[in-house]
Amino acid sequence: MAIIDYRQKKFLVIDDQPMARESLRAIAQTAGAFAVDFAPGYQEAIFKIRNNTPDIILCDYMLGGGRSGQQLLEELRRFNLLPDETIFMMVTGEQSYEQVVAAVELVPDDYIIKPFSPDKLILRLDRVAAKKQFFAAFYREKRKQEYASALAILASIKDSEAGRAYRFESLRQEAEVHLVSGDAEKAETAYRNILERYEFPWARAGVAKSLHRQNRLTEAREEIDKVVAGTPHYFDAADLKANICMAQGEHAEAQKVLDEVAKKTPRNYLRKRLLAEAAELNGDIATAQAAMADVVANDNMPGAVSAEDQLTLARTHVGAGDMISAEKVLLLMRESEVMNLDLARQASFSALLAVASPDKGKPKFSGLRPALLASPLPTISRVDVLRAALTVDDRELADTQARQIMSGDDAKRVFGVVRKLYALQGREPDFREMQRQVALQRIHHDESTE
Amino acid sequence: MHRLLDVLASGVHDTKNQLFIAESEIAALEAKHGLDLSEARYAIELASSRLSRTLVAYHLLRKDATLAVVPAVIDDLCAEVLLDQKKHLAHAGIELEVACAVRDEWPLDRDLITDVLNNAVQNAGRHARSKVCLKAWNDDTTLFFRIEDDGAGFAESQAGITRGTGLIVAERIISLHQRGGRHGSLHLANGGELGGGFFEMHLP
Repeated sequence: MAIIDYRQKKFLVIDDQPMARESLRAIAQTAGAFAVDFAPGYQEAIFKIRNNTPDIILCDYMLGGGRSGQQLLEELRRFNLLPDETIFMMVTGEQSYEQVVAAVELVPDDYIIKPFSPDKLILRLDRVAAKKQFFAAFYREKRKQEYASALAILASIKDSEAGRAYRFESLRQEAEVHLVSGDAEKAETAYRNILERYEFPWARAGVAKSLHRQNRLTEAREEIDKVVAGTPHYFDAADLKANICMAQGEHAEAQKVLDEVAKKTPRNYLRKRLLAEAAELNGDIATAQAAMADVVANDNMPGAVSAEDQLTLARTHVGAGDMISAEKVLLLMRESEVMNLDLARQASFSALLAVASPDKGKPKFSGLRPALLASPLPTISRVDVLRAALTVDDRELADTQARQIMSGDDAKRVFGVVRKLYALQGREPDFREMQRQVALQRIHHDESTE
Repeated sequence: MHRLLDVLASGVHDTKNQLFIAESEIAALEAKHGLDLSEARYAIELASSRLSRTLVAYHLLRKDATLAVVPAVIDDLCAEVLLDQKKHLAHAGIELEVACAVRDEWPLDRDLITDVLNNAVQNAGRHARSKVCLKAWNDDTTLFFRIEDDGAGFAESQAGITRGTGLIVAERIISLHQRGGRHGSLHLANGGELGGGFFEMHLP
């Protein structure tokens, strides 16, 4: 009856309860499975998946230790540990899991509610396999980042007879490919096509994200406010709202939104990073410090804590005036690691160290000066350089960074932070004057291009 | 109030886990000894779905039920109802026929609608003499499910067909489905094609 030969497939059963684990194995074996491996929890599951990728994962939603199967799934996708060919089936006793699936962006291939028979499991697995087969060629191109050919494949299959059963999935995939390939306008159109058929919260959030990418912030905010109000358990939407608020310079609202959802998902460290960012922009350095310290100490997937995270933690310490902690974090980074950073991160590293520990940091910071004056840098690095330049009274370097920041897309986002840095040096009037000049230049530019 | 609900939900959750252990033990025994204990497993699954339905009914009565709408493949949904009910009905000498003419995905609460269909098929099975039929079809704006049997039909009073708790819950679930201002609806009548009662839902 099965369209797959389950005897040939490697199963992995993830459940923290021994009895339930045995039951899942018994059901899988009755369905024909021969090779069934176990993982009693989160870390073991990641270890096993990394070392010997299973074909089919049966994962209980409740994993103990404050972890859920949903978090595991998100982590696996975040670290690219889950090939498209692997079937991830969530197993749950809760009817309410459907609420999660209806709202989140990263969904399992399917979920099944306990209790269920071997036949039911086979029916569901066959169905997932058929869907994966339908999208196989598309997934291959998408993974290779060949977006044009991925879209061409999608266009050719989505109106086929077999494609009628996957119409929404096709539209969603189309929208997502437009987003990752940088065409936010087409993504917006694709999401609006979905909304014409049905008001899915994820599609409305997709519109908001597309508008955000187009820097149409007021419209993006209106859309995402609707989603967050209508589906308060849709945490990804809360993250998106926070990002939009930050771009609008509404840092207090961003932090408020993230504070609420971070409490409900205490072990989601990507969200903690976002909270730290919002808190820092909002001037709540203590919260930013605590959130980043939590990330660096507890996000324990190998490679999860990046140089970027160390720099962010150091930045929050500097912001709080705790130079000893900042220095400690920076000097814990290995020399070889620092050497291999790109210019933007080297700039941040040397700037933060120059502020935290002038003796150790100034020489490297001065050495980079010509590059910092001449090179394009991301806003976050510019703010670090600006802070260090103001501290060592290098006006030319500081003012160059400020002008670049104020004329860029992130001006609203970091306006408050930059003004405060100038104010600390008693140079707020200078900052006002620069702001005026940038505004005049912009008006002039707009007039000449009209 | 929410604490009470949490207590109930966690009790239901634990019980379902226990029932799953029982079902898997039975399935393993069946495989090992070549037995057919599907009626025992059916009883377990029925007990479990009754528990879930009780929680759903509680939410509906408190008027805080929210749907989780996902795109659903209707053919798959029908196949699942067939798998859940066919063998059990066959034990009682009743044939279940499923005919699905829907080719497109449809947005609906998959778990709740599957449960409504299962429940309606079970009810029809209790009244049928020899046959129950589930049909699904659609037009541009509406998805239709019809379940009918060749039994004596629904009990009728002057006020029309008597609706028990199961039907009231089903009707609430169906009418919570809405799209472009249109709500789902439930239609009950006697004298269907097979001669007995029929249960028809329209989903926008």
